[in-house]
Amino acid sequence: MGNTKLKESRPSKETSKETIGYPKFKEIDGSHPLKVSVPEAVVEYQVRTRHGGQVAFFNFELARELGLIPDNHPHELTKELKEEILHTFSIVIINEYDQMNNFNFPKDEIRQKTYMATRYLQLQHPCKKGTTSGDGRSIWNGQITNKGKSYDVSSCGTGATKLSPACNINKKFYQTGDPTVSYGCGYSEKDEGLSSLFFSEVLAKNGLETERVLAIIEFPKGLAINVRVHENLLRPSHMFNHLKQNNLPTLKRVVDYYIERQVKNKVWKNIPSDPKSHYDYFLMKVVETFAQMSANFEDQYIFCWLDWDGDNILMDGGIIDYGSVRQFGLYHHEYRYDDVQRWSTSIKEQKQKARYIVQTFAQIVDYIKNEKKKSIDDFKNHHSLQTFDKRFFDYKNQNILMKMGFNLKYSEALLSHHRKDIEDFRSDFTYFEMAKSGKGPQKVPDGINWNAIFCMRDILRELPQVYLSRGINGIVNEAEFIDIIKSSYATKADLKSSLRRNLKIRSFQKSYLKLINLAAKKCKETPEKVLLDVSMRSSVINKYDRVTGDSISTIVEKVMAKKPKLSAEEISLILKEFTEYQNLNPDKERRPSNFEAEKEQSHILKGMLQIVREFRDGI
Amino acid sequence: MKLVLYSGGSEDENRFLNLRALELTHVKSPKLALIPSSSFDAEDDFKFFVQEFSEFGVQRFMLFCVDTPYTKTLLQEVLKSDLIFLGGGNTFYFLKHLKKAGMFGHFEKFLKRGGVLCGLSAGAIVLTPHVHTASFPHFDRDENPWDMKNLSAMRLVNFEFFPHYKNSKRYDAELLHHSKKSKLPLYGCGDGGGIIIEDQQISFVGKCYQFYLGQKLNVPHCK
Repeated sequence: MGNTKLKESRPSKETSKETIGYPKFKEIDGSHPLKVSVPEAVVEYQVRTRHGGQVAFFNFELARELGLIPDNHPHELTKELKEEILHTFSIVIINEYDQMNNFNFPKDEIRQKTYMATRYLQLQHPCKKGTTSGDGRSIWNGQITNKGKSYDVSSCGTGATKLSPACNINKKFYQTGDPTVSYGCGYSEKDEGLSSLFFSEVLAKNGLETERVLAIIEFPKGLAINVRVHENLLRPSHMFNHLKQNNLPTLKRVVDYYIERQVKNKVWKNIPSDPKSHYDYFLMKVVETFAQMSANFEDQYIFCWLDWDGDNILMDGGIIDYGSVRQFGLYHHEYRYDDVQRWSTSIKEQKQKARYIVQTFAQIVDYIKNEKKKSIDDFKNHHSLQTFDKRFFDYKNQNILMKMGFNLKYSEALLSHHRKDIEDFRSDFTYFEMAKSGKGPQKVPDGINWNAIFCMRDILRELPQVYLSRGINGIVNEAEFIDIIKSSYATKADLKSSLRRNLKIRSFQKSYLKLINLAAKKCKETPEKVLLDVSMRSSVINKYDRVTGDSISTIVEKVMAKKPKLSAEEISLILKEFTEYQNLNPDKERRPSNFEAEKEQSHILKGMLQIVREFRDGI
Repeated sequence: MKLVLYSGGSEDENRFLNLRALELTHVKSPKLALIPSSSFDAEDDFKFFVQEFSEFGVQRFMLFCVDTPYTKTLLQEVLKSDLIFLGGGNTFYFLKHLKKAGMFGHFEKFLKRGGVLCGLSAGAIVLTPHVHTASFPHFDRDENPWDMKNLSAMRLVNFEFFPHYKNSKRYDAELLHHSKKSKLPLYGCGDGGGIIIEDQQISFVGKCYQFYLGQKLNVPHCK
């Protein structure tokens, strides 16, 4: 099985190839410290060259950050660079099926070092302890260090491992590429890579932690190897499996490995010197990370199917595996993804799942410290959960002020003195955000939804402008309010006036203006000045056309269908323009303007923006 | 009718025109609305617009895009403002969406009740009878990928406007050529320059030239 028949290969012509132009690529050779620190947490595979690949995309910006190419490298895939990318990433594992069938592969195509698939817990596996689950079609290419920071590099679509659900459900090993199984065949597709690429780059641009796509190697029939990078690709599920198996030594070593890595990468700077306190610090960091992440996901309408297994999310709250990730245009809190055997959680249930993950970490820390495993139920009232609840609402308060358009100075003034007023506004805001259509639940292509009907971004963008125009006391009447806030999902019946809704409209505005006035008073400025600043920032934060999951899928379809095919450089340029456009940070550097700067975007980008507009309210 | 046609240029270059435009409102605390030619990066334009005019103490601003769906509430608020500023960009795209949104009628009413309508470059060209001047010179013209045939515009003035004019032979050749075919005088203004119209009075700011029936004339300007 797996790593029982591994042989050391001699350096071959292929593997010893000199890399004069791009020496940093040489570091990506399967070596990874996790293999050494926790060998039982991984399954090692020999890999060989996979022929027939072409570089469909290369992330120049990310490659510069990693030091793979020099800062002044042109935005061009030179022949040498192309070869280097293919040599490094166009690989496939020699799996159990290959070994059992004694397949002979040319020796000079087999790489010198082994590559690892990692073990982690996955709810879709029959074994709920994680003894057989993990990377089913991915391997970790290695680790790369640049400017004192290390990054994990992994590839999806590099062959069928023994950790895939198909392998364990059907109790057999699969040949890589076996057409009788889809996910279990070990391949991935180009559209998956492109979806992850567009989505992750937009989210990264907007300050969210996420895996990023470094390269896409495409093969015939729409297949691809999608290479992804993040500072640390460990997930909670990489620890939860050992907890479920009561395997304290391994669990401790994975946690220690993670702590050490965060310290080395200077992500954690003030870790206590007493080694025993490390675990409390670790738990505190987990609490903070998951409270912030779940508040951010909820407020930015990011659906990420969190669950008890701690899969689908990274330890640092980063997004991974974009297959089921979505960004909604409205707060579609009833949407559920249909995963054939089960329904996903909904966006509003994510907080509870994140809380449960924290509870599991409290159990882990206690287990490591006392060397005795207690029941998860014993941690129901753990102090870390109380901290989580408090911090979650702290982040919700910060987020609502940010979404309104308050700058840091105003936000800090309000957060330190007027928490109750912020919460009052948040309560009114939530009332409208949660409103659903009278049409009831509806089937959508990949699941079920009960449409939200109000677009909160629109009201936050337009309200300050109307107040500025009418004067600080010139409130908006009920009909006008509904005119601004209604989305394309709202039916006539949904928009019918009611006493309760009218009261809420008045209350919303009263709370909104109260916050404006309080910020002005605290910062000794006029309410009009605060309102103007809020209005300008809000116009960026709540831009009319923000990407949704549906828009990304449609954009990827267009890119895939483009004839002639877009080159890697062209995709890279379009991506750059697109992510710039979707950068909703009001503090980003602006280009000088005389209101007529060239607004000439490429034809394809214009098409993309049109798609974003069309799907702006969707899922 | 109060109109200000800007050629283009930097904030400093347009300071005088900005000040004059504000004076024309005759309001102590005027409300200004920016209508950019396209919603693409409109927020950036808005930021710079606010920067330019807040220097004169203006505090009330609105941003209104015509190429994305908008609410009646915001439109009405924009039309109640004291000054509307039409931004620059692709003239054909802007014209297409202004027409689609039925803005011309709204602007006429706005002007009738004393509002100041300003336009910069593309925004100024759409105030004239048609937008032919956006189609030349061949080395510096707006693309028309929508292949718009009907180039008629607002007809608020009876002349044509050519922004970003540079006093050079190659510009002159194309402008003179056009003026031979046109029945209307064409005013070419350099960046920082422009034309101010208050009721029946027209005044020129910066270096302006008139091209008419194949002739080029210097136009006396007030600043």
